[in-house]
This record gives sequence, structure tokens and C-alpha cells, in this order.
Amino acid sequence: MYSSKITKEINEKKISIGDRIRVRTVTGEFEGLLMPRPSSGDPNLIVLKLDSGYNTGLKPESIELVAKAELKKSNDGGDSESKEGIAILGCGGTIASKIEYKTGAVFPSISPKELRMIFPALKNWSIHSKQIFSLLSEDMNSHHWKLLADSVEAEIKDGSEGVVVMHGTDTMTYTSSVLGFMLQQLPVPVVFVGSQRSSDRPSSENEMNMLNSVFAASQDLGEVTVCMHASTNDDFCYLHRGNRVRKMHTSSRDAFRSIDSSPLFAVDYRTKKFDKLSDFMPRNNHGLIAKKSINDNVALIYSHPNMKPEFFRKLSDYDGVVLIGTGLGHVAANAFNDKSVNSVLKPIEELVQSGIPVVMSSQCISGRICMRVYTTGRLLMEAGVIGDGADWTPETAYTKLCWVLGQTKDMKEVKKLMMTNIAGEISTRSNLEGY
Amino acid sequence: MKIGIEIHQRLDTKKLFCDCTSDISEDEIPKITVQRRLHPVLSELGEIDAASQVESSKDRVFEYQVFNSNNCLVETDEEPPHMLNDEALKIVLQIALQFHATIVDEVHIMRKMVIDGSNTSGFQRTSIIAMNGHLDSSKGTIGIPLIALEEESAGIVSNSESKATYRLDRLGVPLIEINTTPDIKDGAHLTEVAEKIGMILRTTAKVARGLGTIRQDVNISTEGGARVEIKGAQDLKMLATYVENEVHRQTELIKILAELRNRKAIPIQFNAQDVTVVFKNTHANLLSQGIRTGSIILAQKFPGHKGILGTEIQKGKRYGSELSEYAKRAGVKGIIHSDEDMAKYYISGEEEDRIRKFLEMEKDDAFVLIIAPQTQAERAMHHAIERANMNYVPEETRRANPDGSSTYMRPLPGRARLYPETDVPPIPITKDLLSSIEKSESLDEKKSRLEKLLNKEMAGRMIKSRNLHLFDKLVSEGADPMLVATTLEDTIVSLRREEFEFTDLEKTLTEMFAEYKKDSFVKAAIPDVLKGMAKGARVEAVLKVFRLQKITGPALEKLVAEHNYDMKTIMQKCRLQVDAAEVDRIIKKRDSSYA
Repeated sequence: MYSSKITKEINEKKISIGDRIRVRTVTGEFEGLLMPRPSSGDPNLIVLKLDSGYNTGLKPESIELVAKAELKKSNDGGDSESKEGIAILGCGGTIASKIEYKTGAVFPSISPKELRMIFPALKNWSIHSKQIFSLLSEDMNSHHWKLLADSVEAEIKDGSEGVVVMHGTDTMTYTSSVLGFMLQQLPVPVVFVGSQRSSDRPSSENEMNMLNSVFAASQDLGEVTVCMHASTNDDFCYLHRGNRVRKMHTSSRDAFRSIDSSPLFAVDYRTKKFDKLSDFMPRNNHGLIAKKSINDNVALIYSHPNMKPEFFRKLSDYDGVVLIGTGLGHVAANAFNDKSVNSVLKPIEELVQSGIPVVMSSQCISGRICMRVYTTGRLLMEAGVIGDGADWTPETAYTKLCWVLGQTKDMKEVKKLMMTNIAGEISTRSNLEGY
Repeated sequence: MKIGIEIHQRLDTKKLFCDCTSDISEDEIPKITVQRRLHPVLSELGEIDAASQVESSKDRVFEYQVFNSNNCLVETDEEPPHMLNDEALKIVLQIALQFHATIVDEVHIMRKMVIDGSNTSGFQRTSIIAMNGHLDSSKGTIGIPLIALEEESAGIVSNSESKATYRLDRLGVPLIEINTTPDIKDGAHLTEVAEKIGMILRTTAKVARGLGTIRQDVNISTEGGARVEIKGAQDLKMLATYVENEVHRQTELIKILAELRNRKAIPIQFNAQDVTVVFKNTHANLLSQGIRTGSIILAQKFPGHKGILGTEIQKGKRYGSELSEYAKRAGVKGIIHSDEDMAKYYISGEEEDRIRKFLEMEKDDAFVLIIAPQTQAERAMHHAIERANMNYVPEETRRANPDGSSTYMRPLPGRARLYPETDVPPIPITKDLLSSIEKSESLDEKKSRLEKLLNKEMAGRMIKSRNLHLFDKLVSEGADPMLVATTLEDTIVSLRREEFEFTDLEKTLTEMFAEYKKDSFVKAAIPDVLKGMAKGARVEAVLKVFRLQKITGPALEKLVAEHNYDMKTIMQKCRLQVDAAEVDRIIKKRDSSYA
């Protein structure tokens, strides 16, 4: 946004963003198109697009309109909605968005026509699409999980052959893991897809991820999955189980990795490659089970040195707690009864006794929770902490507890459901290839 | 005729958007390669740039060689750019002052879409730092409308139809771009302007030196012709030749167009025929080999083009080459046309006649053959016809060839090619920043200062020397200017010829001149001291081991006495350790004591 001074001047002169203007500064006169002000920088400087195409910031003495911008026909989809083929649902993220620079707003490109414009190779599939909401994934919450689950359920009931979900990458694996609990016995694949490089770059990997996810959504698979780059190369993607995958890098294309397991498939639409890498659930014909209740009053706590018992006492406002413990599943429990140690065992015990389930996961990310090995773990198990033997990621332990508490409040039932494998989130064998 | 020039000069700093070094070792072997694809995107104005569109019609894989010492995740497009290198910005500001240019109030980093693979991101980051500068020349003032700071592209290793390989070591090295207005009068004037800009860059700022660190792009437009950019000229001496050849090319093209209009030869309709059957038993190797590997021979009549395809428009290049270079966009090797000598390809007269019949050709008609798989051959033929049908001289970006000719690369890019880099916020040019930039000596000031320090001949050599910065540094530390200049320009040069290597010349000379200042060795010993230091030894050790310490005081008196006060013998034997003037004083002292 420009400063009020500049805004006033351009309003008075009936200048809009995109118009051709002449700017006089202390040192000279410059002509070009008026561009919107980026959110950073000095709002008193005019951003001018010179005829060379360069943008530059100038301190104006005066501004003058040269010519109004030509209006361009808008290019919004408008093609008829069919319900056939593969459903592409939009939740936001950079995989298929366009920036309207005249206003600075980001619009999702979501009509089939727009999607085909961005991804020409989509012409090989029958698709239909729908924008559910458009958010940065870090802003999403259980309300959006519910909206998405409703939409996926509706698409499945309407006969979609497969569902692709375009989603921001930051919290994609929370959504993909919770969806596998909310919608069970899937008759079609649900494939989450995103891109690490925004779609406004020629190098964006959005095209390859998108086409591979549509290709994967047409296969014989009945699971919630994530389809992202397998390596830094633009060659093929991995299809990961939605509750086994984690974003392991802030920026690289191959940030998504299956944890404690191999990905389900290696996917390349160009060569029609769909190579199985580990066991999967095929399309299920026994009828979709939708259990969409969620209790989102659950805390996810990263354990670290210097934690205070009082902090844990404050967690009594929650209906459930997931700990990201150290090692095999530990927090400071003072197993040696040392005077210098602040134990958090007692407040954890109090939480459990007051009916708040406490679930363990590990900040090692890979490997199984084994609380029987050291005294600390045994003390935590005695205190009622759930999770011994599970090999879930912290995020999956979290979404699972949110979902379980949406199904039951009975502590015994909670414990039973948590430890029951529902969507492949707990395995009984630690495969050597998994790490 | 209008001529302008763009000069790109690498700066001697770390990379522009990451912390990798810009020092490139040609010997390093890449341990990792990365494979990518690129696709064009809309600009902020909602347009797709023509140049980018052309590049994208080649569906290609790009392979990048990654070098551990010069590359990180930024060059591989796996990490967002860091903030713009502050030192590089300051250098460009310093240079902008030399050209009396107006510095912008805020720097906006732009993405210039380039999808030939030479940038992993698909764009080159570039930004205007200053505008409206000028430069004096022998034929009037030349405007400097633009001074930009941008990142170097990746270096091409190999290029084929389906794949291009690039090395990433130089990607991201900061470049300053300096553009002139099209006010340059002729080839000789162009050389003068290019030389002067180059010298201003080298003498006033921290820019990289050596082969390939400076490149010139020449913009030429002629009356009735078009604006053409000739890219990548490295040799200043060739600039005038590029201008002459381009003017000649455009003049010839204008004549050809007039003749084609006269003959009503354009536009041509696409009507290509598969004539593979004609060459079933051919002796033409190129063709038979193609047929064996799944290619067809596609032929198209070019009505009224006889004699025109063969008209020479550049040295060794005919009008047919223009068509061929467009056809190559489809990834074919080239075209064969009827103004060429068919015997060159071992195509028989009979085969040629059959093609003529096949295409129902008249006397004035020409034909074009393309050897490739069907769809590719058709695409290539469409490109060739597209070029032939241009009833004007097209605006183009062309590559400078070492022989003075040029080759078509792509249409001239437009403004749709530039859109904002949203990962790096705009950088304000504050008063504090500007006041921290010291205006460096101008070229003229530097010249007159050197002439005061050195004799005229040496001053002339020094101003052109790549060691000028080192000269200034050593002199500022108290070394004798003339001695520094001869050491840099003569002694070091001849030692290098004898294959003595100085990995860090600055360090070596700083240490040596500091020691020399202490009077611990004599001037005549300098070459020998340097030889010792070239092997990595410290100066003190060299003096000791090679017995180069200066002999002075009582020891010298004793030495002179031992040699019977004979100057000639002493200097013959101990030239590297004694100062002739001191010996002379001792001799004179004895003589006077006799008197």
C-alpha cells in the first residue's frame, strides 16, 4: 500500500494501478506504468515499471497521468461443471495460484480451463474441479479439515474416479493424516499435492507433481496419500501414505519423506510408471465410512531440557496432550531422585488422573516408542502415558488423538483406539528400508 | 544506423544472492548432477514473453553440474535467495557515480525469464541501480540510460535436441550491466566506447579480471532494417567487425525482400511432402542414415526462391542459413536447400529431378529438405516457412560467432519478460548508504596521479594493468612506486614465464615490500627473494636459506677490505647482498683517510 499522501495524489488525478504515468523526481523525469506497492519498503516511493520492463522505486516530486491502462479481458474459467473423472479440490497453496499484480492479490487458479492452461498435459484426463477454500496451510485448522472431509466425501458419493487435493506444503501432512481417520474404507485414492517452488517460477515443480498426482488418482488405490518429488530431479514422484509422511526440509523439492516405511509407489505419468514400493490398500468396495468428528482441544508439546512442572499443570485446560519426547519416548521424570532435577512426572500423572489422555511420540522422528527399556519410560507408562510400541510421527499421533477424542471420551476406549492401527499409521514391523 | 552497447562485467565479490565464492576453479570435477525441466509462466502484466515462448517449444531436459566449492542450495533452486550482496551493491553505486548517473531511491529485484536452462530458476535476477548517466567520447557525449546489477548465468557444457548440460559454478556471480544510448557512430567509435567503459570499470572498482569476466552485447539497428542484439562478444577487437557484418546482413536482407516482393514469392503456404521414397537407394549418407533410424525426408517447395536461398548475406552464410537457424528450434540439425551443391551431399541429379517433379516445381522455384522424424520435421519446416514469410527484417537476439558472423538465438525479449522477485524485498538507497560510498578516483584523476608517481611510459602501462589495485595498495603501504611498478609489470611477468607460480601475489608482495622497507635485503635480490617465496617460504626464511641478507655496517667494511677496496670484484661476487652506494662510501672514506 502506498502512503496516504501518494494515495491522495493518485486518486485526485484519477490514476489507477497499471496506468502510464510520468514521475518527476529531484534528479529527473521518468515514464512508465504505476505498479502496486509491495508490503515491504518505503510507502512514500512510487514503484514504476519502465519500458525496459524493470521496476524501480522513485521518490516523486510530482506525478502525472499519461494514459489509462487498457483493460484486459479476464480469463476466469466459466466452463461447465461435470462430475466425471478425477476431482481436483483446491485448499490454497502455491501449486496453482496466480498473482494479480495490479492489486497484489493472490488468486487460486482452479477452474478446469485455468488448470489446463497452467498444466497443458491435463488434457489427457477427464477432470472437474472445485475451490473449497484458499488458505496458506499454516493458517488451517480443524474447521478446514472438516470442510475438506465433507467435500471429499461428496465427490466420492458423486462418483469421482479419484480425488486430488491441492494444499500448501507446511501443514499438508497434518491434513493428510487426519483425513485417513475421518474417511475410512476409501473406494478411490485421495492424493494430496503441493509445490515447494511457487507456481510463478518457470522452475516450479508444480507441473510434475500435479500430473503425477492426477495419474496416481486414477490408479487402484484406496488410501489418503501425498504425491511429491522423489528427489531434487524433475524425473518422478513418490506417493507416500498420508499419515507416514513428513516435511523434512524447509525448501527443497524432495522435502517430503516417508517415515519408518518406504513410500507406497514411485510415480511417473510420462512413462506410465506406477511401481509398488510397499504394501498398500486397494480401492475398497465395502462402503465408505465417514467418522468426521474432531476434538481439536489437544496440545502438542515438544519436550526439552529446563521444562517446568507448572507448565504441565497449565495443560489441564486441554482435553488431550501429545508429547514429543526424547529418544525412545522420555521426558524429565527424575528416575534417580536427584535433588537438582525438576520432574514433570507428577503433573503428567495428574493430567491422566483427571481424564486427560497423554500420548507419547518421539523427536527422533524415526523409530518406535519403547517406554519399557528405561526407568523413565516405565514411570511414564505407570503414570498412564499412551503410545508404547507405536511408530507414529508426532503429527500423526496428534491428529489421531484429535480424531479419537472426537469419537469417544472414555479413557479406556481412547487408549484402545489410539493403539489400534486404523489407516496404516502404526506398523508392527520396523522394516530395514524404512530409515 | 544506430549502435548501442551493453557491457557485462563480473564483480569481485561473493555471489549476489548467497554466500558462495565467485572464485571458480576450472579443475574441479562436479560430483553431483541435477536434472530439471522448465516451463514459461505469465508475467505480472498477464502476458507470456515471445522469447520465452520460443525457448519453451523445445521440450528439453536440463542437466546441471553442481560444484561443491561454488554451489549451495540457492544455485540449485532448492533454497530461496539470501539478501542481495551488500558489497556488490556498493561497487555498482561507486561505478554509477563515475558515469554521473542518477541513483534510484529504491532497488527492486526483478526476475528476467530465461528458459533456455541457463538459470536453474528459469529466470535471471536483475535490478536497476542507476539511470541517465553519461560518458565523454571523441565523437560526443554518449548516454548511459541504465546501470543494473544482475546475476551471471550458468555456463553451457553441451547442447543437444533433447538435453542441455550446464555447469553451475559461475551461476549467481554478480554482474554489472552498463547500457549506452544508440548514439555510437561507427565500428571504431564502438571500440573506443567499449574500451573506455571497460577501463573505467577496471580502474575504479573491485571487478573480476581475466578471460570471460567481461562480455559485450552490441545493439544495432539500420534504416529500413530492424534492431538486432548481438550477444556475447568477448574480444574488443571484433566489435567493429560485428557491426560491419550486421549492417551488411541487413542491407542484403532488404534487397532480398524487395526481390521476393517483386517475384510475389511470399507468403508461402505449408505444403510439405514426404519424399522418403525418392531416396530409397540413395548414396547420400546423411539421408540414408536418417531413413534407417526412423527419420523421413520432408520436402517443401519455396516458390520464386531460386537463387535467393543461396545469396550470401554474411561471410560464409547464405539466406538459407537464416531459414535453417529457425528450423533448428525444432531440434533438427539444419536444412538442405536447392541453391546448395547437391553433390556435396551425394544427392544425384536424378534424385534432384524427381523431387522437382514430386513438388511440381517451376523454373524459379526452390526446395527445402529436412531429415527428421515426421512430427519434428514438420515442426521444423513450419519454422523455416515462418522465417521465409517475414516480409521485414526481424528483430532478433543473435549470438556473436568468433569469425565475426552471428547466429539467430531468439526474438528480442520484451518487457513481459520481467516480473518482480518476491523473495527479496526492495532495498532502499538511504542517505547513510550513499555517504558510505567513497567516490573513487575518476579515470582522468587516476591517470594524472600515476604520471606524477611514475614515468610516462610506466604510467601508461600501469593504468591498463590488471595489477593496478595491488600497485595502489603497496604504494599506500610505503613502497617506492617505480620499484613496485617494475616488480609487478616486469619481474613477476618474467618469473611467471620461468614457471614460478604465485598463488597469492598480494600476500607475497605485501610481505616482501614490508621486509624490504626494513632494509634487510637489496633491490638486486628481489627476483631471487621472490623465487624463494614462490615455493611458499616466508621471506625471512628465504633470506636466510639463500643467503640474501644485506651485508652492512662493520661486516660490509670487513668485506670491502678483504677485496682490496675494489668495487668491481665486490659487486661481481656479492651483488645480491650489498648496496653499491654503501660500498662506494666505504671506498671513498678510505681514500679520503689516505689523503
